[in-house]
This record gives sequence, structure tokens and C-alpha cells, in this order.
Amino acid sequence: MTDVLPLITPRLIGTSVLRSEDPRLLTGNGEFVADIFLPRMLHACVLRSPHARAMIKSIDTSAAASMPGVHLVWTGADTSPRCTGIAAGLDIEGFKGTVQPVLATTTVRYVGEGIAVVVADSRHIAEDACDLIQVDYEPLPAVVDAEAALAGGPIANDTLADNVILERAHTVGDLDLAFATAAVTVAGRFVNNRYAAAPIECRGSIARYEWTSNQLTLWTATQVPHFIRSTIAKSMRFPEHNLEVIAPDVGGGFGQKANLFAEELLVCLLSLELKRPVKWIEDRRENLMTATHAKQQINDMALAFDADGRLLALRDRVDGDGGAYNTYPWTHLIEAMAGTSSITSVYKVPALHTHFAAIVTNKCPVGAYRGIGCTAPQIAREALFDRAGRELGLSPFEIRRRNVVQPGDFPYTAATGLVHHEGSFLETVDTLEKVVGYEAFLDRQKKARAAGVYLGLGVSLFSEVSGIGTAAAYAVGFPVSTHDTSTVRIEPTGKVVVTTSITSQGQGQHTSLAQVTADALGVRMEDVVVRSGSTSQTYGHGTWGGRGAVIGAGSIMRAVQVLREKILDFASDMLEAASEDLLIENGQILVAGSPDRSVPLARITEEIYFPAKAHKPGFDPTLEVTAAYDPAGVVLSSGGHAAIVEVDSETGLIKLEKFFAVEDCGLVINPMIVEGQIRGGVAQAIGAAVLEDLIYDENGQLLTTTFMDYLLPTSMEVPDVDVTHIETPSAFTPGGIKGMGESAMISAPAAIVNAVNDALSPFGAFIQRFPLTPDRILEAVAGNPAPASPAL
Amino acid sequence: MDVRITLADWLRDELQLTGTKLGCEHGVCGACTVLVDGKAVRSCLMLAVQAGGRSILTVEGLSAQSSLNPLQSAFQKHHALQCGFCTAGFLMTCTAFLNDNPHPTKVEIREAISGNLCRCTGYQTIIEAVADVAGHAEARQQ
Repeated sequence: MTDVLPLITPRLIGTSVLRSEDPRLLTGNGEFVADIFLPRMLHACVLRSPHARAMIKSIDTSAAASMPGVHLVWTGADTSPRCTGIAAGLDIEGFKGTVQPVLATTTVRYVGEGIAVVVADSRHIAEDACDLIQVDYEPLPAVVDAEAALAGGPIANDTLADNVILERAHTVGDLDLAFATAAVTVAGRFVNNRYAAAPIECRGSIARYEWTSNQLTLWTATQVPHFIRSTIAKSMRFPEHNLEVIAPDVGGGFGQKANLFAEELLVCLLSLELKRPVKWIEDRRENLMTATHAKQQINDMALAFDADGRLLALRDRVDGDGGAYNTYPWTHLIEAMAGTSSITSVYKVPALHTHFAAIVTNKCPVGAYRGIGCTAPQIAREALFDRAGRELGLSPFEIRRRNVVQPGDFPYTAATGLVHHEGSFLETVDTLEKVVGYEAFLDRQKKARAAGVYLGLGVSLFSEVSGIGTAAAYAVGFPVSTHDTSTVRIEPTGKVVVTTSITSQGQGQHTSLAQVTADALGVRMEDVVVRSGSTSQTYGHGTWGGRGAVIGAGSIMRAVQVLREKILDFASDMLEAASEDLLIENGQILVAGSPDRSVPLARITEEIYFPAKAHKPGFDPTLEVTAAYDPAGVVLSSGGHAAIVEVDSETGLIKLEKFFAVEDCGLVINPMIVEGQIRGGVAQAIGAAVLEDLIYDENGQLLTTTFMDYLLPTSMEVPDVDVTHIETPSAFTPGGIKGMGESAMISAPAAIVNAVNDALSPFGAFIQRFPLTPDRILEAVAGNPAPASPAL
Repeated sequence: MDVRITLADWLRDELQLTGTKLGCEHGVCGACTVLVDGKAVRSCLMLAVQAGGRSILTVEGLSAQSSLNPLQSAFQKHHALQCGFCTAGFLMTCTAFLNDNPHPTKVEIREAISGNLCRCTGYQTIIEAVADVAGHAEARQQ
């Protein structure tokens, strides 16, 4: 299916076409889940556990149920016979699956877990009724510290034998020899914060069951409608063909809306029961408590270098705090495993040892968030590169230059098993050094320091596993397959309708994929419309893993190729020319070398739809093609980030002065959209490195449940981002397109951390706990950073 | 009218003017910003009954039939929105801001939008869009 790649001549591709989505979104005409009002619709509110771990001794719903306007009150006793919940496992030896009930039955396992639901005439009534539900809990000791949980003690999820979902090691080469003979060894124990995608639109779902046709429709703020549909059909034993899942406008996803949630099952069950539409809209407190967290890892890492600054070995032990349940489909491994699978990044690492443990705690489950498991180990590795550079007297650029996979090395098989078929890593370092103006910066830094102002420059290089399909999923350790299609239909008037399984949460695919379609077919942009977001359209796994451009363009171009051939064959008779000599440009079919001989595409399509006489026997006049696409190999994009910061040694505050990104995602479809992805990712990276922290106390109580406590970056924290494009096409994708949506959240936090360490180098700073809060900065300034642990 | 209904819920649920969004319902994110007598107000923090006799402008009132106003056009031109969920709040904040200060510098624009959260764009393009529509030579530079 993927061996022959369609060719494409970029015309619109490579230009910053303005987005067709925008007028709707700019005028209040977008339709998000919360904006949908259906006749006879009821409203649900979920009562949530105030305890991290407790037995539910009894629940009294009588007062709530008798409140005027309340239609139904359910507990886990009502939901569990109807649906067992979210069964999440992976076909990996030793992996421990979990089942998260739709509502907790006998035990609660994290603060925020659903206990009961009220359905009422309004959300206000439902919330008031929730307050009347009496729950008698018997609190149990909460498992909050992942490392302690690994060592033993109470079991966070009593359905498991211990607190480990999976523990696994991977070794290549002789680590002991490498570390014994190294000229320089650097090590650190990096404690990464727990944070969340926090899209501005919280989650939300509406289910409508229509009994006369046994039709269930679910509108939900998701990145993966087909996955939700297939999973609901299985877990609720509901016929898949009678279930439609619609993702309308979605207000940001970033990975958080790419898994099945209990509330999606719940509203379906409620509507089946009540035979009325039921709407559940999450509030911000629920979103911060329950809508998946991410990124909490401890990376105990050591690097060994020879005297020339060449890396000999990398050791990393990852302890991932994954919360009380596995999310589906990602599981705990989205953090604990995903980072180690690509830890060598753009570097040559002769000897590698990784070990990860995915640990269960009484916290919100971890899910996917932009850059998945890579962010925390990236900080560790890049910080240690700088530390080694300082010891060896090499600049951050030079030590990286000496260690990246060089142009003559491709194809290069990394110690992780990932293969770099192409790349621009050396060019990236050189470009980054040039755009930041390194020499001038050093001069400025020196003068500023003399005046008591601490400027720092931090660099980070990355490789992004993008366009994730089956090959890439297996390559990073997930034994899962993906299936993605697009349908292209040419109408009688020559207009083109594309439906794709690639969903939008703001990435502008209805524009970028229209550019691809127009160029692939040879028609004008205004003659193409792209639609997505419903399971009534073509099947696929949605948008995540930097796959929108790659999978969307790949499937569309394969479908267009079939249509082009059919149209040109048909036109060859009319134009009395061999089909090989025909081309389609601007909606006209032309004979190569004979500019006077042409016919509009619309003339051909009309003749195919409505022929003057019957078509030749054997000719199939269908002008609609569905094609699948799954990249044959792992598509790796790459680049680098640099941050310039000023750190106030008196207040501990960090000011980002300027940010630089060098990005190589192969053929760029729409530079404006690519740059938007980078800038947005950098803003999230600033939150990740400096501001955002989901803090649990020792009882497993979440302390940060509002935007007053959980700080998102504002315009005052996010500087302008200077973006430079390099284009090194992938051999695996049509046109050489690579994904790039994840990169800034893989790598930009590391650049910020390195910049702060550089700014505070006069104090010997080497910060290993995140985020970089003022108290941690002041601790570093006081010359009292957290002690580094010995090498593993 | 139920006296405890917020202005935001009243606009969305009663009038079904759903262009005004709710992102936090505690006055931080700014997605619900509307103009009350010309001033930018967080409609999640104001009760609907407090709006009696006052002039309310929401995002639905910005554009004439089938054309974007200059600020909306600048947002499109500069890619100042992605998912579009926070966008109405930014447009209303910037509308009030430009009424008060038609020729701001980029620093002033950056400060003016600092009470609105966007998770997609990184703010740079929003600042560029506002600077463009303000049409001030100084604002177009750094």
C-alpha cells in the first residue's frame, strides 16, 4: 500500500495560504461541543472523589434524586453492569493492564475520580443536586511518591499485585568500559514536574440516543473520533454502524483529547437510559484534576565523553509517575517508555543503557501531551551536554557539533534502533549558532555580568518521531497498528470534496490539506473543500503524533493519483493524445507541448458523470476514491532551539528575552502554519519549564485546581520566536513531508533550562528540579543547588 | 431571570450567542470577555442582572454581514488564531484597547493582552495583528 509514492509539483505547497477556517472562528460562528443545543437536552454533572484513596462504604443519593428538575442519579452500581469501563492494556510481556470504571464502585483511586452523576434540566440544578449526595468514605493511605511506591508499601491500585505497570531495560555496548575509560563523566538526577496540556476549551461530550433507529450520536471534544467509536462499540457492546462520533470544532487538544475518557462512555449510557440528549461540559477544576496529566518523570542520567568531547555512553533510568490507571490507548508507557525509545536523538551514542519503570500512584492518570515522554529526558540529556562542554572547554554548539550524526553517516542506526535516513543536524547547529549571533552574545553576556545582570544562552537539539503510523509506533515500543484513509470525490462540475480522518484542533488542516489536494490534482484551491471530524466520513485514527500533514497528505495524494490517471485516460480520447502527454493545471487538462489543445477538467467530469451515450463496457465512471496511507518507515524530523534569558538574582524571576527555532520538517506545506505550531509549542515549553506544576500534597490532594494556582504563560512571559526552515525531505512520505507539531514541547524546555544554568554559571548552578520557580533559582544563586547523585 | 445566572451563561444559554466562550469560569483566562458600555468585562464574573440597561457587545456584533472587520481580518492575515476558542476574548479585549489607545506600541499591546490566555499561538502573531490594524509606524517596528 505504501511502496509507490505519488509525485507532486508544489505550486500552492510552500506558500502561506490564509486559513479557510478563520472567518468562522473569528465571528463566533465556530461550533464547539458546548455551543451545541439539542431539543429536550439534559445536563450532567459528575460528583468527584475528594480522597486520593478510599473505600466507598455507602452512597446516599435520595436527597439529590428528589430535587426538582433532577431526572436521574447514578453511581458506579448503575454503570458497572452496563459497561466495565476503560480496559487499557498493551500486548507486551509483563505489562499490567487496568480497568478504570465509568464511575468508581467500591474504591476510589485518585482525587477527582467520578463517584456519581446527576442528570437534570440544567447544569445548575445538576451541580446543586451533586452537593446533596452523601458519600461515606473510609480513607486509606495514599501512594503519592512514585519512587517509594516502586520500593513497596501500600498498593495504589488494589487490582494490581504491585505498583509497577511495566519495567524494562535496554542495553547496547559495554557501558562499564565506556564509563571507566571516559575523560569526562557527567551525571544528574532530574526531577521533572507534572503538568497538563490545559487546552482553553475543556473537555465536553453530548450523547443523543434515538431508539426508533437505534442510532447513538456522540459529539465530543476529541482528536480521535473513529477510535472513540470503535472503542465504545466494543466496551458497551453497541453496534458500531449505529454509532456516529462527531468531533466538531475542538478548542485545542495537544494530546489530552486523544484518548477515551470515562465521561464519553457515561453520557452514552445516560442517553441510552433516558432516551434524551445528555450534555456534559467539563469545568476548569475538573480539567486540571482529571483530564490526564503528563510529563512527571525522574531521569537519573549519566553521560561519558572522551577527551575530544565525543560521547562514549549514555545511561538513563526513568521512573515515571503514571497515576492510578492506564489511559487508553496510550497507557503509562506514553511517558515512561516513549522517551527512552528515542533518547539518543540526533547524536551518535556508541553505548546505551536505559531502564524505565512505569509506576502507579494515587494521582490522575497520565496521558499524551505534545512531545509525549520525550520532554523530561531531553532536559536531562541536553543539560548534561552543556555540563560536559563546560568541563571540556567546548561551547554548547561545539560539543553538539562533535556528536551529531554527520552528513556522511546516513543511513544511521541509533542504539535505540531508530534509523536516521536523512537529516540536517550539523547544518542545524551551524544555523542556530549563526542566528543567535553567538560571539556577540558572549560579549554582551560578559558586559552584563560585570553590571550584575545575568544573561544566559541555552541550546537544545531534537529529533521528532513524526507522522506516526504502524512502523513508528512499533519502533518506539508500542505494539499498535493504525489505519488512516482519505476520500477524494470530484463532482460533476469539477469541484473537489475531500474527507479525511485527520481531525482539527486548530492546526488548519482544512487549509493545508486543500493546498496539497489542489497541487496533487492540478486544480485551484477555491475548487477544493476539506472536511473531517465525523465517523460518517472516512476511517482513521485522527490527529496526534505529528501525523496530520504526513498521513493526511499521503492518503489524499494516493487517492488523487488514481483519479488523475482515470481522468487523463478518459481525456486522451477527447484530446487525441496519449494520456502520458497530458497534464492537469489550474483545472485545465493540457497536452504537453501543445498549449492550444486543452479542455477544462469540468468538461471531462461532466462527460464522465453524464455521458452523451453509454460509457464503454468495463469503464467505471466513479470519481470517488478512498485511499489508505501508513508510512513504510519511521519519519524523523529534526531541528534545534536556543533561548536567551535574563535571570534576576535578587527575585529569582526569569525573563525570556528571545527564542530561536531551526526546524527541518522536510517539505513545508504552509510556512505560516508551521511557524504557528512552533511558536505555540514554545509558549507551552515556557509554561513547562518555568511556571506549570500540578502539585499534590502528601495525602494525594491536588493543590493546583485553578488558573490562579496553575500558571499558564501569558503574553508577558512568551518572547518573539525567530524561526528558520531547513527542508530535508523524507524518503518515506509523498513529497517528503514530515510532521513537526511536537518538536517545541520535546526540546524547547531543555533550551530554557540550559539558558538559566548558563546565566547562573557564575554561581555554579546546575538545576535539577523543575519548574524553574523563583525559590529554586534563589537556591541556585545561593550556591546551594540540589546535589547531583553519583553515576549509575 | 434567575438572579444567580452569570452574564456569560445568559448570553450563551438564553440568547444562544455562543461566540463568547468559557475557559475557566474564574476570571483568569479572558475567553469570555465582552464589552459592557464599551469596557472589556469578564462575563463569567458578572451576573446577568447587573447588565440591566447597559450596552453589551459580543463577538457576534463585531462584523457586518458577510465581511470581517479590520481587526478580524488582521487576525486572519497574521495567523493570530489556531483553535479559535480564546479568539473572541482577544478580539473584544483588543477592540476596547484600540478604542482607548488607537496607536499603541508593541509593548503596550503585549501588556494589553496579558489578561487573556491563548494555548495555541504563543501570542506573537496576535501582537502583530493588533499592531497592523493600529497602523502605527512605531508599532510595526520592534
